[in-house]
Amino acid sequence: MILRGIAGLIATLVLWTAIVFIFQVPSYLLPGPMEVLNRLVFLFENAKLLRHIGVTLTEIVAGFVLGTVIGILAGVVFARLPRVERFATPLILLLQTAPKIAIAPLLLLWLGIGPTPKIVLIAIVTFFPVMSGMVTGLRYGEGSFRDLAAVLKLSPWQSFWHIELPSALPAVLAGMAVATTLAMTAAVIGELMGANEGIGYLLSSGQENSDTAVVIGMVLLLSMIGWAFYEIIELIRRRSLGRFQLS
Amino acid sequence: MSQSERMIDIAGVHKTFVADHGTVTALEPVSITIKEGEFISIVGPSGCGKSTLLRLISGLDQASGGSIKLDVSGRKRPVGFVFQEPVLLPWKTIIDNVRFPLDTSGISRGQGDKTALDLIKMVGLAGFEKALPRQLSGGMRQRAAIARALSDDPPILLMDEPFSAVDLLTRDNLNDELLRIWQSTGKTILLVTHSVEEAAYLADRVMVMTARPGKLKCVHNVELLRPRGEETKLDPAYHALVAQLRRDLRTPAGEAH
Repeated sequence: MILRGIAGLIATLVLWTAIVFIFQVPSYLLPGPMEVLNRLVFLFENAKLLRHIGVTLTEIVAGFVLGTVIGILAGVVFARLPRVERFATPLILLLQTAPKIAIAPLLLLWLGIGPTPKIVLIAIVTFFPVMSGMVTGLRYGEGSFRDLAAVLKLSPWQSFWHIELPSALPAVLAGMAVATTLAMTAAVIGELMGANEGIGYLLSSGQENSDTAVVIGMVLLLSMIGWAFYEIIELIRRRSLGRFQLS
Repeated sequence: MSQSERMIDIAGVHKTFVADHGTVTALEPVSITIKEGEFISIVGPSGCGKSTLLRLISGLDQASGGSIKLDVSGRKRPVGFVFQEPVLLPWKTIIDNVRFPLDTSGISRGQGDKTALDLIKMVGLAGFEKALPRQLSGGMRQRAAIARALSDDPPILLMDEPFSAVDLLTRDNLNDELLRIWQSTGKTILLVTHSVEEAAYLADRVMVMTARPGKLKCVHNVELLRPRGEETKLDPAYHALVAQLRRDLRTPAGEAH
């Protein structure tokens, strides 16, 4: 499985090199893989590439954690108090249906050019699938578990901690897995709109300087980070699935 | 300590609920007094209100009228409940599931483990303490559910068709285990079933209920010798009772007597 994946990647690189070589594509249109790699090494040595990666990663992790925590809390409130949910739903839907690329400038105006608006944007996109997962998990939790809690006269907290939260966990993790790709997109949008550091910033300066190698390098970097991010959440999800479902 | 003559005192308890097309009577007024340590079977077709009665006694549902008194001197959890499905928490091991009622009532872990291990042994699950529910068969899960219901030592055990989801051989086994557990713990047990054989084999008294509307039709004393076993199933008196129960269930409600 992994071997085939690696073989596929190598084949792609070979094809890419071949196209550049055979058709003599000018490097301002499509630089070859080696040129992209060289440019990445150059950025690493001269432009603090690692620092930029660190900035973007920090934004993603902070925004993702923030969105997940708020999503779980909101899910609990909404599942318990349908009135609050009905009240909040139009606002949440409005926030969700607004294109993120349109919200970003607003957040930049309000929160400046630093990491904060990016973290908020990532949290916004993470919030929704996590909250939906939590509401679904809690609302459609088995009625028989509710009977068990009632017979044992569990306090609302005991019932939440020991029964409802673990029951909802698979749905929450599914929401988190969906949120990873949204979070990556939000991070890049935020940084493209205005930043002085981060992978998105390097991407837009590459564009301004018509440095195609930098742009391609950054796209590949983002893909790899997004992929790893998704795989980590998926791994946690699959690991916990066996434990949290009956069969 | 003398045995309570009125462990469960049910007087005129009934249940109606509102549906789309008007009020539905789930249970017509029922009155019965159950002694401490008695084993009562409740048998009847679906819709006869037998599960409803159990849920009313447990406090899971509220009666529309009448009264239910339990002689349990202010215990927080007077009843243990064994549901039709095991309702084990899938993310907890067997011992954690059995200990769950103790964990949630402030019993120390050490003491809880000791109680849980004894119960696991009693229901025949020794060696499976660390297993997850999904690794166990249906019958074994139901054994664990019984151990859990007994873990904080409730004086009353309510069982709602606990063996309906297991195969017949397992069911016979579990019935004998249940009798053994009942004899060693002295619990007051109410067991709902739709099997007349099971009802007659286990109980001191059998409550026969009929459907539409749900009502208690009659109560039979079971005079079969204890302890019961394979010989009981050969006893003509057992077969006579089973046949009588079948006749009771076949006659439309209200026509008998």
